[in-house]
Amino acid sequence: MSILTRNGMKLRLKSIMAFLLAAVLMAPVAMAGDRESGIEKDASEALHDVEKDADEAAHKLDPKDIIFEHLGDAYGWEVPFDHHHRIPLPVIVWVSDGLHVFSSSRVTDGQTYHDGDLSFRIAGHDSPYKGKVVEVTPDGKEIKPLFDFSITKNVCGIFISLIIVLALMFWLVGFYRRNGLKAPRKGLGAIEALMIFIYDTVIKSTLGKNASRFAPYLLSVFFFIFVMNLLGLIVIFPGGANLTGNIAVTLVLAVLTFLVTNLFGNRHYWKEIFWPDVPIWLKFPIPIMQFIEVFGIFTKPAALTVRLFANMMGGHMIVLVLTLLIFIFAAASPAAGGGATVISVLFSVFMLLIDVLVSFIQAYVFTMLSTIFISLANEEHAHEEHAHEHATDKATAEVKTA
Amino acid sequence: MELFTPDFGLIFWMFVAFGILFFILWKFAWPMILKTVDHRADLIDKGVEYAHEAQELLKNAQQQSDAYMAEARRKQADMLREADKMKTQIIEEARTAAQSEAQKVMDSAKLQIEQQQKEAQQQLRNQVSEMALEIAGKVVKTQLDNDQAQSKLVGTLLDELESKK
Repeated sequence: MSILTRNGMKLRLKSIMAFLLAAVLMAPVAMAGDRESGIEKDASEALHDVEKDADEAAHKLDPKDIIFEHLGDAYGWEVPFDHHHRIPLPVIVWVSDGLHVFSSSRVTDGQTYHDGDLSFRIAGHDSPYKGKVVEVTPDGKEIKPLFDFSITKNVCGIFISLIIVLALMFWLVGFYRRNGLKAPRKGLGAIEALMIFIYDTVIKSTLGKNASRFAPYLLSVFFFIFVMNLLGLIVIFPGGANLTGNIAVTLVLAVLTFLVTNLFGNRHYWKEIFWPDVPIWLKFPIPIMQFIEVFGIFTKPAALTVRLFANMMGGHMIVLVLTLLIFIFAAASPAAGGGATVISVLFSVFMLLIDVLVSFIQAYVFTMLSTIFISLANEEHAHEEHAHEHATDKATAEVKTA
Repeated sequence: MELFTPDFGLIFWMFVAFGILFFILWKFAWPMILKTVDHRADLIDKGVEYAHEAQELLKNAQQQSDAYMAEARRKQADMLREADKMKTQIIEEARTAAQSEAQKVMDSAKLQIEQQQKEAQQQLRNQVSEMALEIAGKVVKTQLDNDQAQSKLVGTLLDELESKK
């Protein structure tokens, strides 16, 4: 590189830095000027949305509400950089008289939607069904629908993740179809490398000859979780849905691993549970070991559920809190707001980078633990002792790193 | 807290989504991807093995060619030596042949000379005897009347002459 271009790049970099610093420092000052009209408090929009809305003026800054709103599900999806417009999504509810389908735009901002004899609205803050679509009876009582199949923000996000995973894999398949045994390069090469990394170091090394049997499930799980994790880190549509930080999503994945483990478990696995190799008084007449083992069957998926959920939600929460600090300090004084902005932005960026790492690690850990549970249920009798030790060692080591 | 209570709709859709994802990938993607990856790994392993073998072969070939070269050199030297030997031998042979031929020629020449000498002697003898006879006749004609006694005398004289020689 010539000196000229290097200097040019330095200059450009400097100007970008200066601009960012100015923007970051100016934001709270601008907000302070607008203080009479109140502070719009939205964590994810904080860096972009400086303009205020008179409607929100009455609202007090309530960090807990904001955090929970962003971590939770919603019936519409925010239009990028605009907190007040939502991409409408279908609401599908099953109530006493059958299925009702309508757009979420009909129930936003506390509107009531009348469909035939019934009316629906989103339950308010003081309702036990807060934030959910409920049926409103003529005398003002709220009834929770029997089933709520609405395509919410999270459901939509799940399907976007699904499309991304399918697209990635069929990109790879297409490459193989066209190029035979050639190795892909660049982006596709990275996807393939990731796939081979998981397949070789996690699945093959743990499951051995059973690898090809369970690989489709485990690889699907890995890529689905990984894509959902990363999508959750993107602030705007099509990201922004906190998917793996939602307990329902992780629960489903853990239940699937539970099903695969127990449905494909061999005779030896069940023998270990109901008649383990321990002194007889531990298992008869009082089935102490059996109780512990059966309990263990269910703690495994529970651990899987909570680990992924808590890790991802925690990461999101830290970023939200850091961003909210700006508004809390800005409400106190503009100078404090300015200082908090710099620190918060730096820490948020740092946390988000860590979260990228965590996204991979958690997807990896989930896949690895699933693999270990499956392999324990499929162990051949002869190698059982050794393999069990091996797997448990690996599991404990991994839990430590996680 | 709503964060910790799984939502039924979300669970339902998550099952559906994962089901679709798994089914499609299981049916159309994973077998193909894993097969290709395994095949490629095999191919690379084979390639490495092949390269090792080729290297080994190359090394052997080098040694072999070196051996061939040495052998060829040795043969060449042998041949040269043999040719040299043959050359001297041929020269030797030619020389002896020439010698013997020359000897032969010389011998025959000697023989011829001897023969011619003999012939010449004979002729000379005859001539001398004739001449002697003639001389003797003339002498005797003049000196002797008796022919027979005279010729006997001449014969003895001639024998003397010959034995003197």
